[in-house]
Amino acid sequence: MNDPYSVLGVSANASDDEIKKAYRELARKYHPDNYQNNPLADLAEEKMKAINEAYEAIQKMREGGHNASGGAQSYQTYSTQSQDPAFARVRMLINSGNISQAEAVLDEIGNHSAEWYFLRGAVAYRKGWLDEAMQNYQIACRMDPNNMEYRQALAMMQRGGGGYTPYGYSNTDLSDCCTTYLCLRCLCPLDGGLCC
Amino acid sequence: MFGYVRPVREELKCKDFDLYRATYCGLCRTMRKRCGWLAPMVLNFDFTFLAVLLAPAQGEKMTTCHRCQVPPFLRRCMCETSAGLELAADESVILAYWQIRDRVRDDTFLRGLPARGFSVLLRPCYKRCARRQPEFDRKVKEQLGILHRLEAENCTSIDRAADAFAVLLQAAAPETGEQNRDRAMEQLLYHLGRWIYLADARDDLEDDRAKGCYNPISLRYGQQACDEPLALTMEHSLSLMRGACALLELGRQEELVNNVLCLGLPLVQRSIFNGSWRQMKKQKIWRNKL
Repeated sequence: MNDPYSVLGVSANASDDEIKKAYRELARKYHPDNYQNNPLADLAEEKMKAINEAYEAIQKMREGGHNASGGAQSYQTYSTQSQDPAFARVRMLINSGNISQAEAVLDEIGNHSAEWYFLRGAVAYRKGWLDEAMQNYQIACRMDPNNMEYRQALAMMQRGGGGYTPYGYSNTDLSDCCTTYLCLRCLCPLDGGLCC
Repeated sequence: MFGYVRPVREELKCKDFDLYRATYCGLCRTMRKRCGWLAPMVLNFDFTFLAVLLAPAQGEKMTTCHRCQVPPFLRRCMCETSAGLELAADESVILAYWQIRDRVRDDTFLRGLPARGFSVLLRPCYKRCARRQPEFDRKVKEQLGILHRLEAENCTSIDRAADAFAVLLQAAAPETGEQNRDRAMEQLLYHLGRWIYLADARDDLEDDRAKGCYNPISLRYGQQACDEPLALTMEHSLSLMRGACALLELGRQEELVNNVLCLGLPLVQRSIFNGSWRQMKKQKIWRNKL
């Protein structure tokens, strides 16, 4: 493993506070909430893991400590459970990053249900076709307004993705309550000193 | 290209301003040396940003030994020619050449004359660059062809039209073999290309409507208000760019890139929407004066 101090970008004789601050800033940067549905979520997860490990390692080294607990985090991947086996396959293909094949399988399905539109939206999103993703999610929500998965996806689109902005670079007010909530969640010290 | 990708000067630290200027001057010099005296005419902020992205984490080597050509008596601090700058120089000439060819094709004979003349002058310079970057040249030709076809078909999907340009820009950074970095860079450039295309389409919206030309935004939204949903989808692209940028090891360039992504592009976007872009475009980044 790399030197835990260099992972956090601090020197080996940094104070506990400095380390905590560096850790918090990095955790805020790579927080799973910033990478919801983002095609690069796995890379951010790797980073987050490295940061958590480095922070734990430093704490252990310094305190012989037992106070750091691993941050288990769940990424929002598309759940592979589906009534229809064809849709389950599409979900699997999307999760494994095989977008063109997922699209081909979807095109073959004649039954355009709410789930079909939702998955089409997910495929479009992974391709970077954000407008079409939004349109498909909207149709899915209209067809099945009670489905939480579809509604969450649409809400994420309506927020404009959200995500991380470095300190000092935010130039829009946090007028939207979801964003404010997300930011507060990232900034608040959570239990055990770990952000996730 | 278009000049949409620029930092906000007031928010730059001195070191980042110097870095940006040195990259700009270095790119200008590299273009002149490598592609001929005419090449700096197509120098632009967008490819300066690409050069910044392609620079190694520890920064390019800088020197003050070279002179500026515009007033030739001035010595300026500029980046030494490097692989990243050479690539950005070649690519900006290739893209500029094909865009000029496009304009020649779209305009009437008389109105297209200046562009035609310039394209003839630029041709030897383009030939040289295309020989050095055959892959990128092929990609540009291919993607602009797709874009042209979509325009002829009156494509109503803004994503499909923007995709053609986004894929083109994605090809601007060659793969390094380091998979994580390549994926992040691809996403960053894809969404930058998408954003640029949409910004340009929004900028031309009124003109295109008046002339009855193809415009993806006017076809997608019709007569209804397009600004809100369009701004949302463009901001979403910005947010995906920032996510990708956080995963890149940009080192010395990081703050400059953050300035462009978090402040520069949103500012340009706002000014395009409220109609003040034409004026802002004329502002120099180098001087305080308007």
